Amino acid sequence: MRIVQVRCPSCNTPIMSKQKDRFFHCDKCNVLHVRDGGTRNVDYEIAEFSDSAPLGERLYVPFWRLYCSFVIRSKSVEGGYAFRLASWIKGSDDGGSLFIYVPAADFDTMTFKRLAIDFTVRSPNYRTRLNFGGVRRMPARVSSEEASELADFVVVTMEAEKPGVLQRLDYSLTVLGSKIVYLPFVSSPSGLVPAL
Amino acid sequence: MSEISVGLNCPACGGAISVVEGDDTLICPYCDSTLFIEGERGVSTIAFKNILTRDGAVAETMQWWSRGWKARDLSRTGAVSEVYPIYLPFWRSSTRVAGWICGYTERRYTDDKGRTHVQRVPKEEMVLNDYLFSEIATDPGDLGITSLRNFSGETGFADFDMIPTFEATTGRDGAVERSKSDAISRARRSVSVPHITLERLHVFPRKLSMIYYPIWVVRYSYRNRMYMSTVDGVTGEVLSGRAPGDPLFQSLAITAGTSVGGLLAAAGIILSTLTVSEIPLVALMIGAGVLYLTYRFFRHGSEIIEGDFKHKPASGGEAMRGLGETARLIRGAYR
Repeated sequence: MRIVQVRCPSCNTPIMSKQKDRFFHCDKCNVLHVRDGGTRNVDYEIAEFSDSAPLGERLYVPFWRLYCSFVIRSKSVEGGYAFRLASWIKGSDDGGSLFIYVPAADFDTMTFKRLAIDFTVRSPNYRTRLNFGGVRRMPARVSSEEASELADFVVVTMEAEKPGVLQRLDYSLTVLGSKIVYLPFVSSPSGLVPAL
Repeated sequence: MSEISVGLNCPACGGAISVVEGDDTLICPYCDSTLFIEGERGVSTIAFKNILTRDGAVAETMQWWSRGWKARDLSRTGAVSEVYPIYLPFWRSSTRVAGWICGYTERRYTDDKGRTHVQRVPKEEMVLNDYLFSEIATDPGDLGITSLRNFSGETGFADFDMIPTFEATTGRDGAVERSKSDAISRARRSVSVPHITLERLHVFPRKLSMIYYPIWVVRYSYRNRMYMSTVDGVTGEVLSGRAPGDPLFQSLAITAGTSVGGLLAAAGIILSTLTVSEIPLVALMIGAGVLYLTYRFFRHGSEIIEGDFKHKPASGGEAMRGLGETARLIRGAYR
């Protein structure tokens, strides 16, 4: 076992932090990298806080934004109407593409589901910024591979939670690209509130 | 959670740091440098402090003697011969399961003309749960312990030099696979979808730990035969044990059980000649069940066994569940 100081792979600046995180962010050159069996830069973007953001402690929450291709081979819904997922995807009724948002921080299961569904159904619009501006960010826990599997869970959840009872869904979901997106939130007594 | 210091220093400031086994990242408490541990990831190791004393372990065992169907004179006649603590290693893991199980249940009903119909009721159930799993990481011999019930308590390695410790003999990969299988089984049981048409479950192992847990072993004699019990060194609960049964209880059980079971079964047979309803069959099955439980108590009642022993007769509940399954099969054939 050997302990090394984590340095930015781009500018060699030591990474300083107060909390453990799967991703290492360089405050100097804003490179985000991960060390899963080797050093690798992570594609990411930071969303700007809305001007009308509520008052409270500000923080950034990491999400995996997965660009996915979705192909439906056959389906069956009891007591519902036609296949509803088509309304979320771009393309024909039997397939297309969509952005799936998977929370990368360590949330309880219900918060995880709520955030994943909310942002996938209503893909957020935001301005981006280059750095965190001193705002605290939640540490990421979910790996890219885990996020791809969770994306599958999110699309089935979107379909199953509509009226009707899902009985069969033969489909394929292919992740075409992934990016980490830090979305702004405000911590309030009732929980985390999006600040987009 | 305890931390195991491996005597390392921060490569940036030289400060002494302690590393939790299993983590690959840590923050230096002196200079805030982010540090990365290169090499194979280990496993978090935790040891619970032994809180129970020798006298406490004996007292808990003697209280256990007076509970259940054990020999009535055990408290007076039993003599403790040996009491000692050991540390047993356990794997503990947390696994998240996310997915959906869809399918249907079947509902039977009879219409006005007496015809039986089967109606399909479609169901869709989400699974999004974290499951804790534990299993012993060594061969415990005949101690009757295979998993942990308690996961809270004070931790520390202070007792390690004084208490004999069993070495872990099972591997990490096997434990992870078993915890994943266990999580999937429990996820399936958590939903009531007997006929599955769509199942998409994703399993995410989240944390794996090795827990060293203090157990007191109490050996005692009763009428020149040796018995034992194990007592939780943290909670004081008796985890497993063997104790002598009572011949009087066995005799009473065989007398009362055969009487009640025989009467019920006979009533069922007689009623079946008089009516075509299901009541005779139900009476017959209940009678058979009572007779079976009576036989089991008589057969195994000479020794009361509690815990996860390898050669332990199924509990009354398990036996009844097996009997219920058989009854359902008979009922299906009857229809």
